[in-house]
Amino acid sequence: MAKKEKKNGFWRARILTRFRGERPAVWSLRLLYVFLFIALFGDFLANEKPLFCKIDGKTYFPILYQYGVDLGLASWEPSLIRARWRDLEYESVVFAPIPYSATSLDTRNTHFAHPFRGQQVKSKRFWHWLGTDQLGRDVAAGLIAGTRIALLVGLGAMALASLIGLFLGTMAGYLGDRGLRTSWLRLVLNIAGFYFGLFYGFISRAYLIGAANLEGNGPAAVLTGLCWLFGMLLLANGIGYLLERGLRLRKPVRIPVDILVMRSIEIMESIPGLLLILALAALIRKPSVWYVMGIIGLVGWTSIAQFVRAEMLKVRRQTYIEAAQALGLRASRIMFRHALPNALSPVLILIAFGVARAILSEATLSFLGIGVGPEEVTWGKLLSEARSNFNAWWLAVFPGVAIFLMVLVFNLLGEGLSDALDPKGDEKGE
Amino acid sequence: MGAYLIKRLLLFVPTLVIISWVAFGLSLLAPGDPVMGLCADQGILIEGEYQRCARQYGYDLPPFYFSLSPAAYPDTLHRIQPQYRRHMLRDLIAQTGNWPDISVYDQQLEDVLKTAMTMPDSLNRQQKIDVNQTLRDLRVAFKPGQVDYLLARLDSMALFSAYSAYLTGKTGELLRQWDRIKMQATPTLLIQPDWKWYGTANRYHRWMAGLVTGDFGTSFKDKRPVGSKLRPALFWTLCLNLSAFALALLLAIPIGVYSALRKGGRMDRFFTVTLFGLYSLPRFWVATILVVFFTSTTYGGWLDWFPSIGLGTVAADASGWERFWVRASHMLLPVLCQTYGLLAFFARQMRGAMLEVIRQDYIRTARAKGLKEEVVVWRHAFRNALFPIITVLSALFPASIAGSVVLEVIFAIPGMGMLTYDAIFAADWPVVFSVLILGALLTMLGIWVSDLLYGIADPRIRLGRGDRN
Repeated sequence: MAKKEKKNGFWRARILTRFRGERPAVWSLRLLYVFLFIALFGDFLANEKPLFCKIDGKTYFPILYQYGVDLGLASWEPSLIRARWRDLEYESVVFAPIPYSATSLDTRNTHFAHPFRGQQVKSKRFWHWLGTDQLGRDVAAGLIAGTRIALLVGLGAMALASLIGLFLGTMAGYLGDRGLRTSWLRLVLNIAGFYFGLFYGFISRAYLIGAANLEGNGPAAVLTGLCWLFGMLLLANGIGYLLERGLRLRKPVRIPVDILVMRSIEIMESIPGLLLILALAALIRKPSVWYVMGIIGLVGWTSIAQFVRAEMLKVRRQTYIEAAQALGLRASRIMFRHALPNALSPVLILIAFGVARAILSEATLSFLGIGVGPEEVTWGKLLSEARSNFNAWWLAVFPGVAIFLMVLVFNLLGEGLSDALDPKGDEKGE
Repeated sequence: MGAYLIKRLLLFVPTLVIISWVAFGLSLLAPGDPVMGLCADQGILIEGEYQRCARQYGYDLPPFYFSLSPAAYPDTLHRIQPQYRRHMLRDLIAQTGNWPDISVYDQQLEDVLKTAMTMPDSLNRQQKIDVNQTLRDLRVAFKPGQVDYLLARLDSMALFSAYSAYLTGKTGELLRQWDRIKMQATPTLLIQPDWKWYGTANRYHRWMAGLVTGDFGTSFKDKRPVGSKLRPALFWTLCLNLSAFALALLLAIPIGVYSALRKGGRMDRFFTVTLFGLYSLPRFWVATILVVFFTSTTYGGWLDWFPSIGLGTVAADASGWERFWVRASHMLLPVLCQTYGLLAFFARQMRGAMLEVIRQDYIRTARAKGLKEEVVVWRHAFRNALFPIITVLSALFPASIAGSVVLEVIFAIPGMGMLTYDAIFAADWPVVFSVLILGALLTMLGIWVSDLLYGIADPRIRLGRGDRN
């Protein structure tokens, strides 16, 4: 039992040492840093604009300047708005390592330019090292842009899934079916608040949401609806608080959190995830990776919730929790400040494997051509282009290697973590 | 145990009901006009044909048993056909809440449309086309600025065109009615919740009744019953997955057992690393590579090892063997791709389970009493290690069916995955949602069977009582 006390420094240091002993995991962590670097600084690694250039005596930092333009802080000179940066006359210029953006079309190298021969370029500096696709887009630049999307979707989706899973799992495990008590008044008021929130947030705003969706502002309109919903719930609880104070209506009622959460997990797990994701992604009119991220996150929380629930069932019998209860701390404080942190580290394993799965789902979706916008370049999309032209082996090989490496990194991390956190780990070293 | 399994079986019902709500709700959100999808080729523009088609497939019914909407909406809105007219009215109501005036406007517009259709061509054909086009635009216009503009245009046409005799008065009425809608808006009705009850004459009820009797609806794409499309698709998907499962198990058991027995040995390390690599290898990538390099002569004839994608063609009079051979040779690659992922997973599980068992006391006892190593391994250890595997298997089977979508697409196998994929791109929602429901049912059955097997395999397990907490 004492071994469960992972919070103190001794155990933490021990786990870190053990993790450092897992060579594949350490290497995968290093590779992950490289991926993160590429994702963060992708604009400076592959860009059709130069890093630095001098035209007619004026110096520019076009890539940096573009950030200002995107933020609305600056604007391009008229002569440079539609500039074809590769063909401009410079006094001096420094291009990014790959002088192409993921979406820039090289009209001289369309129809799958081979990586090793036959490219029409000014100099070796503009060579497409990994070839091009049908429209003349540079594959290397596409891979760099894809890194960002893969990491964004993988980490973002798992962040969402973890939030939902941790919250529901903690509630279900710690409170069980008898732990959450509230007054009848509160229950009724909350149901009413939910009803009105749903009505004013979504049903009466259906027209507005629909119109916003057609203009591509769907998420903002849905968020406003959610604000209405939470506002109404807040209002209901405010009224409840005042009434309870004034009228002493405190006849308690128990809410079976555990049953509710377990049933919803059962329902979520009964729907084949990929089919649900496919159906949902197909309904979106203006596809983008943000939706894909949200959908994968909303579908993928069940395993984390189940795991946290099981951990909570163990943790809540520990003496320090009983001590906290005896001190009269609020349940929410005990749950999220005392119990959850002690169940958290094993969840990391699930999260690492989950990121790998999310990245794989995203790649599968974009491979199938579902859920990615026409302007977005992803690994899956690049790979799928290989199917239309068998000659372009570089489109079949390079994006696939990227997906494989990324998935492998997160799987190895998960494996390393689970070995490092395994309480039986000491026996292994015998 | 029996009672627990029956209880679980009964719990299917509420779960399936909720899933059916999800699927049905999604089908309501799906863009496009289902009636157009179903009857597009049957002369939908012929007077009354649309209404007939809508009635035939139940699209003149309300969607659900009840509805919650602002009080401004009438409870008969669903009867208005076609969909674009209904949507225009819905959007007008959403802005003004003034249904009585809007319905009058709608009637007037319909009258003018009818008149405009019957205007003789002879006076000025171009002007007639213009008038009709403006009216058709008005039929879908709901943004105030747009309606203002179109009505003003129509009014000027009524004054100055060759057809003014047909239109005067009517366009003026329309304009006045439109002003009335705007002036007498009743926004308070828009924030007043209103429940409407429709009873069992609704689309969801019909759909569910159909599902229960095995009628999955009609495909938009080719008007065939969805059920008749699902059956052959299910066959191919099961073919693919069952053979992959059998193959994976055949390989995984010896590998898992062997590595567990020689834990830490050279072969164990080799298998662990290889299987981990295979586990991380995306199936759709491997499939793409195989298709690109090994199914055509693109990279030289010596690499053209396998037949190209699809199921191949067999002559109508081909013998059973020949038929089987052609199909099997085409299924080889997809089965291979499906197998290696499963194999990696199973073998890891098998090794883990075997390791758990092998360190138990009864194994030591068995060895101590001098049993042969094979007997210890296969009769004492392996049997017990198999139990957790069984449960993993049955729970994984439905997931792998969903997972074979991308393989079926790459290898052009006409299975469930391919069917879903095509249906999504053709906006053939009845097929998509039927597959969703069927998939859910299979998953639940899989979980149920795994519970059943678990109970049979390990009599110590008493599910149902005390399994919580």
